[in-house]
Amino acid sequence: MEYNENNLIITKDLKKTYKDNGVYVNAINGIDITINSGEFTAIVGPSGSGKTTFFNLISGLDSLTYGKVWLNSKLISDMSGKELSDFRRDNIGFVFQAYNLIPVLTVEENIEYIMLLQGVGKKERHKKVLNILREVGLEGMRNRVPTKLSGGQQQRVAIARAMVSEPSLILADEPTANLDSKTGTELLNMMRRLNETTGMTFLFSTHDKMIMEKARRVITLKDGLIEKDEIKA
Amino acid sequence: MIFFIKLSWRNIFRNKRRTIIACIAIGISLASLIVWDAISIGMKNSLLKSVTSSFLGEAQIHNKDFRDTQETEKTINKLGKIVSDLKKEEKVDRFTFRTISFSMITSPSEVNSIILFGIKPETEKYLSKIDDSIKEGNFFKGNNERDIVIGAKLAEILEVSIGDRVVVTVSQAKNGELSQEMFRISGIYKFNIKEMDTGMAFIRLGKAQKILGLGNNIHEIAIKFKNLKFSTQNNISFWKKYSKYDNEAVSWSTLLPQLKNIFDFIGYSFIIFGIIFLTVVAFGIINTLFMSLYERIFEFGVLRAVGTRPSGIRKLIICEAGSLAVFSIILGTILGFIITIIITKTGIDYRGLEIAGATMQELLYPVMQIRQYIIYPIVIFLFTLLIGIYPAIFASKMSISNALRKSL
Repeated sequence: MEYNENNLIITKDLKKTYKDNGVYVNAINGIDITINSGEFTAIVGPSGSGKTTFFNLISGLDSLTYGKVWLNSKLISDMSGKELSDFRRDNIGFVFQAYNLIPVLTVEENIEYIMLLQGVGKKERHKKVLNILREVGLEGMRNRVPTKLSGGQQQRVAIARAMVSEPSLILADEPTANLDSKTGTELLNMMRRLNETTGMTFLFSTHDKMIMEKARRVITLKDGLIEKDEIKA
Repeated sequence: MIFFIKLSWRNIFRNKRRTIIACIAIGISLASLIVWDAISIGMKNSLLKSVTSSFLGEAQIHNKDFRDTQETEKTINKLGKIVSDLKKEEKVDRFTFRTISFSMITSPSEVNSIILFGIKPETEKYLSKIDDSIKEGNFFKGNNERDIVIGAKLAEILEVSIGDRVVVTVSQAKNGELSQEMFRISGIYKFNIKEMDTGMAFIRLGKAQKILGLGNNIHEIAIKFKNLKFSTQNNISFWKKYSKYDNEAVSWSTLLPQLKNIFDFIGYSFIIFGIIFLTVVAFGIINTLFMSLYERIFEFGVLRAVGTRPSGIRKLIICEAGSLAVFSIILGTILGFIITIIITKTGIDYRGLEIAGATMQELLYPVMQIRQYIIYPIVIFLFTLLIGIYPAIFASKMSISNALRKSL
């Protein structure tokens, strides 16, 4: 396997077959792809094309039926459950469609959760939380609970949580789906800016045309295969 | 871990109504255990006190064959040595002498079989409650050796009252010859225990020894310990020491095995009762945890996705079960304490209730013990943690991708 230091994700003949109501469904049919560090890439395609399954496989949230996945030069498809948990904690930030904040924790507690799992000290956590809140424009809101925030603000907190431990990859699954277009645009511009300033890789699974326009690379999936891989100039 | 405890505490109050209902159910179970235990101990104490302080004593010494044969000549051996040892015994508070014989009592109108006890009134009053139960006449006032004290029911049967004469017929110790003696009724007692009120009569020890031809011998030494607990300690040297010279020293549990069986039964029923309540608690906890878990499947998916290990999820659920237990224990112990205090103030009136030959003579008061507020809450807490393991394993084994799909 040839591995370039710029390569963040490499998949080799990635396949996933589900059993749904006794019927085998091929969700991913053999994807070979390389995604480099610092990319701002959108995975697009119609419903059932395999976007979410692809996300789950490259992040180790789901097991492969066949093939291999390397992330940050580590073969994650062979890792145990515990190793995968630690690997995700240290290397991947997740942003989901439904904000996914823990409602009983404050903004600060939500953001520092991953650092807590990593064993980062209290002072360091606090400092990083304040910095990231500034970055996402939520200074002064660290003690609020998610229910006291708007949808856009909650998604900003989710982005802050995903980025605070400085992972190499941010996976965003339909991050703008629940937001109005103005808030969605603001959020996307913010992520684009963070991508440029931090160099973190952003990978979106989306139907949103705005994300497709802002993305520098758009990979289109159809029936579990790559139909088109377009890199913008 | 502190973070998981904080998170779990907040999580259980996400649905306050459900948590409070579950905690009340668990709390009531704990309170029931506490109150039931307090009442059980109170009932045991009350029964034991009724039996031992009415007449039986907490322990007795006899000739080893006397209890089986009830033969008049089976008197206690080496009485002098035993009495001098008993006087030096640290554990013994009081003791008294008795003779026991089957007799016939005859009035001008009726005849009845009885057990005739020869007693020493001056020491008997510390071992039994005959003197307290006198309804008419008195308990051996003066020195008249022809005084006899009988039960109220026996007086009814014989159609006699205070001052009336009765004749007692006994079989003498050495030759079995019948001996008759006339007595005058000096006291009538009422114990509310049928056997005692109908079938027993008391005369002075000296007179009894004379008509039975016993000399200075006796059949029974009834003993009261300084602490009742000595009577249930089979391993103390007392029993062995006084079971020499063909005598036997036995406690109330040997003399009244049916009462011991009742105590064992109370113990077993408490265990069964406890198991039933713990089962209710178990289902309550499992139901609450699973309801809460199913509502938060997506959240667990997210927690796992961002790097929480399966063990972290298990810790979180166990902490939630523990938080539920702590809240329930606080409720349960307060409730149990209040109910026990209320019953302690009022008492439960089971007076006259006869169980295995023992009649409750006083109000039943629950007995509060520290262990009820330490051991049972600890048991509930540990049991809750144990029950929490199942939902915890279930949550930790959940497929992350399936859990995340629950948001769609």
